Amino acid sequence: MESTATGANRTGTAMSPANTRAMIEAVEELTPPAVVDLSLSKALRAEFIAEAESVGSIPPPATIAGAVKTGLSTLAGNSPTTLLDKMGERLAFERSGTRLYDALLTKYEALVRVDGERFGATLANAQRDSAAAGDGAQGEEPLEVLRRIRAEELEHFKMLSAAIERLGGDPTAQTPCADVAATAAMGYIQVLTDPRTTLAQCLNVMLSAELTDNAGWELLIQLADDTGQSDVAGEFLAALGEEQQHLAIVRAWLEALMTNEIGTAAV
Amino acid sequence: MAIDLLHDTGTPLERQRLTWKDMVGKPISKLDDDAFTRVRIILMNGLELDSLRTKQVALRCNAEARLPLAQLMRVEQHQATSINWLIGADHSPIETTIGYEQTAIEVTASVARLEPDAYLAQGYRYALLEDFDHLYRYSALLDRLEGKDSNNITQGYTDIVPARPTWVHHRAPEHDLLEPYGPQAALATKLHALTLTGGEYQTHDYYMNIGPLFADSLARQLYAEIASVESQHITHYGSMLNPNETPLEKLLLAEACEVWNYAGCLEQETNPRVRSIWEKFLDYELGHFQVALRLFEEIERRDAAEVLGDGNLPPHIRFESHRQYVREVIERETELRKKGTQHVDRDEEGPSSLDYREAVNADGSPSEAVSATYSWAPGTELTRDELVEA
Repeated sequence: MESTATGANRTGTAMSPANTRAMIEAVEELTPPAVVDLSLSKALRAEFIAEAESVGSIPPPATIAGAVKTGLSTLAGNSPTTLLDKMGERLAFERSGTRLYDALLTKYEALVRVDGERFGATLANAQRDSAAAGDGAQGEEPLEVLRRIRAEELEHFKMLSAAIERLGGDPTAQTPCADVAATAAMGYIQVLTDPRTTLAQCLNVMLSAELTDNAGWELLIQLADDTGQSDVAGEFLAALGEEQQHLAIVRAWLEALMTNEIGTAAV
Repeated sequence: MAIDLLHDTGTPLERQRLTWKDMVGKPISKLDDDAFTRVRIILMNGLELDSLRTKQVALRCNAEARLPLAQLMRVEQHQATSINWLIGADHSPIETTIGYEQTAIEVTASVARLEPDAYLAQGYRYALLEDFDHLYRYSALLDRLEGKDSNNITQGYTDIVPARPTWVHHRAPEHDLLEPYGPQAALATKLHALTLTGGEYQTHDYYMNIGPLFADSLARQLYAEIASVESQHITHYGSMLNPNETPLEKLLLAEACEVWNYAGCLEQETNPRVRSIWEKFLDYELGHFQVALRLFEEIERRDAAEVLGDGNLPPHIRFESHRQYVREVIERETELRKKGTQHVDRDEEGPSSLDYREAVNADGSPSEAVSATYSWAPGTELTRDELVEA
């Protein structure tokens, strides 16, 4: 486990001015710069987009009760199956999010073993200074906070599973939006599980994940209200409250590390 | 529809042309297409690439056949592309891996049941239990790393439980070999062995390509471990093939194998667009077969009936769940091991395998680590209440 420091990064042209000059000479001879025209590649892609089928379908309601309930909701003029698709997406995100926090916990515990508790105080102070982090963060050590966030993500997943079942859906199905969101999230897993990434780099990715999560919950609440599902909207609102705290904590920690722990194994 | 291998001429080679757009068609839906459509795609990609590989080797061994081989290979390459590119990009690498292991399980189970040679049927059952165990280990990885349920891929057709544990798959090389079929073997025996060899070869190559793309150290190690076993399986199945067959004889059998498998896929395919690909490529392979037949007859001056019998194709692989059969094999044969080319009881295993296994597992077993206490549940392990805090 190492800190990020200045070293022999070879990727930029400033590292090899002579080679860069040689490359530019070759370019000027063989591909002299012209006005950029991406129309060929755009046209090819546009053709594929026009002809493409959907990623897949939303599973039909699994129970008659659910079908009736979702049928009633169509009177509101909004597609209830869209709600199920987005709930499936949120469920998949919370489930994968639990695994992301598993990975973050593994990284954090490894860092504690290597670098003692020096940065623990930095994180603890940051979460206490953040009013948005919630009351729980005031008295908890960072490790306890991480475990609690993980437990809350898991609870959100279970709440969504139960809610989907009540609406007649199948919580084990992979909905189209769940599939697409999972594809988008593949990068998160790569960063969190790379043994070389620092805690700060991981928190940077978790910041993206939590921002996406918060926006996802806000949209879900709106959709639930629009389709007359006020019961589940209430549950979603409670989850959003917790997600807002998660976001505040991750943001506070990241800022604190980038301000106070440069040069340590955490950054 | 019955294929007359020796007389159905299919599409002439010179008319077999695909554009880049033909090769990059619409992918299947991971969500809506039947799992066995994905199984057929994975299988046929493996067979095309093995056919390509066979021809590349034949090119190095036979001066007269070089030009027709090069011409055949161009089409096999583009067929392989067309088939492999049917897998959509929303399959994560581990999800595709789950598809690969399901393919290995269900195809091997079908072949084991169809195989007329009792010794080779045992060989298929032996490796079946190992690929079956791989599915369980990879499912644990998919669940615990990505938070996904492998049953979204396998669609209830295949159980997700262990069999012969992956950490005992590691054998010394001399114990991977099997006795090959002889020149009088039934055509079914020859086609079965070729099919599984090609399938395992591609599985191996796939794991070798994607293993290093994982950031997670446990995933990297698991792929390193299982890719090594798949390499053993290539030897296991490949050693079933008669080493005394000439390159052009092997070419003839490879083309017959492709015809046989495309016909089986065509008969059972549920996706109409994919079905039309199987139909087109069946005609291509019949055309290839005619080229291979001419080479065999003109250069080796031999009668194809020596190799193919009467040209009637054997019963096709059944693309369906073999759940009950697999459970019976697990019950009876999980404890079997290898000693040379023989399948033996556990305590008779070749001692050099024990030494090799101890050495390669000396820093720990990735397959054991990834799946410790893992029990598949619908919607992933996280639905279970008896979880221990991370």
